[in-house]
Amino acid sequence: MRGGILKVYYKATFTYKIIRALEQTVTELISTLGQIVIFGIEFLKGLKNKPTTFKELMYQCYRFGVTSLPITLSIVGMTSIIVAMQVAGEMVKQGAGNYVGMLVAILMVREEAVIMAGFAIISMIGSSLASEIATMKVTEQIDAITVLKVNPVHYLFTPRVLAGTLMMPVVVIISSLVGIIGGAVASNLVSGLTFKAYFDSVWFGLNTHDLNVCIMKSFAFGFVISLISCSCGMEARDGAKGVGLATTKAVVWSFVAIVIVDLIFAAACFY
Amino acid sequence: MSIEVKNLVKTFDKKVILDNISFRVDDGKILSIIGFSGSGKSTVLKLISGLLEKDSGEIITTGGDIAMVFQYSALFDSLNVFDNISFALQERKDLRGKYTRKELEKIVAEKLELVGLSGIENKYPSELSGGMQKRVSFARAIVTEPKIILYDEPTAGLDPISSTLIEDYIVRLKNETNAASIVVTHQMSTIRRTADSVLMLYNGHAVFEGSPDELCREETPYTRQFVEAAIDGPMKMN
Repeated sequence: MRGGILKVYYKATFTYKIIRALEQTVTELISTLGQIVIFGIEFLKGLKNKPTTFKELMYQCYRFGVTSLPITLSIVGMTSIIVAMQVAGEMVKQGAGNYVGMLVAILMVREEAVIMAGFAIISMIGSSLASEIATMKVTEQIDAITVLKVNPVHYLFTPRVLAGTLMMPVVVIISSLVGIIGGAVASNLVSGLTFKAYFDSVWFGLNTHDLNVCIMKSFAFGFVISLISCSCGMEARDGAKGVGLATTKAVVWSFVAIVIVDLIFAAACFY
Repeated sequence: MSIEVKNLVKTFDKKVILDNISFRVDDGKILSIIGFSGSGKSTVLKLISGLLEKDSGEIITTGGDIAMVFQYSALFDSLNVFDNISFALQERKDLRGKYTRKELEKIVAEKLELVGLSGIENKYPSELSGGMQKRVSFARAIVTEPKIILYDEPTAGLDPISSTLIEDYIVRLKNETNAASIVVTHQMSTIRRTADSVLMLYNGHAVFEGSPDELCREETPYTRQFVEAAIDGPMKMN
């Protein structure tokens, strides 16, 4: 009797609620991670069966690469302009004007263009992939695919994840170029740095290793974002609320995942 | 015999949804499964179609495809009617590339004619009424010539005339395909117009099994309550 009362009292305490919340978060984290890994393996298995048409792949590439460009370029362009505005004047004053281009280019290629493009793609395309698949899930369209004996992971994931993986480097390369050019214009306007001095510094500062890492990281980001977004969509349940939760989960997990991938690349390639 | 279910058991989170359910449906026959919402009717269909795993029991089918018509049609809203109906023929691993475009067009036209919707191949699901969507989902279900057709509340949300039309098509498809069919429904009109036999579920148990006439005649408290749509009776809503 006394034990029962103590148990009821313990369950009402703040500590108990915190422990329960933590336990639920960890369980959900492990479960989602497990699901993403399972879907990833299933996607790779499906690749050998050519489960998508060229037309569908092209559509997904267009969606990933073209529709996201205006926002991605705006974000990356603005970021480079802000960076150039902040540092160009000061560096020219200190006699380090010849290093402005190098600084902006390295920042763009190694970090800013990839991570900013990643954030833009997650917000625009990742959320849209997750909500699209989640809606299909809660309206039984995925069940219909299964009953028609088509593997939904192969059918839905293949064009989307392939397009994400292939198009992300394209988006990042274009974004980096726009970022570097934006930096040149801003430096010129703020500090009067000539375009020649700026671009000489860019060529001097950038090397093949930076570009290779940038492209490899872009492939990884594209794969991770599209896989997580599709997986979170696939796990949706309970109607409209479930679609919303799946989309939020896809965005949050993708953000966390690309930062972790970024950290791994930084440690492996530049440390 | 086309479907035989023996001692089927399914639980969700320790709650027993189906407890030792057994029935059989022969080729060219329609079994109607009735019961309250949450009584496990749709679960039976999902277990037969392989969407859910059973806990125990047996589901024996005599081969061939199993088709399912979903409660809200579940048409692929990004695909037009042609691609919806020919989906399995275009995407299924064993059928992909087997049919030319012309053959697909012919098959889709035949199926659409069967459900009385010729010439709507290029329309998208959002351009169709609820009844038309349901009929397109019928056409999609029978495109692979299935031996078993499962209908999950096929007349839910439809007006009485559309419901009657759908009921007629269920019978027509049965006659055309000679498939064994299971129709989950709440509506007495659907039972009367389509079913050869009826299975009533309550709390995971089969509380009635017989013909539609027997359902209306039988004086058990369960059948009376269902037929008369009475609130008072042995079956309590959760």
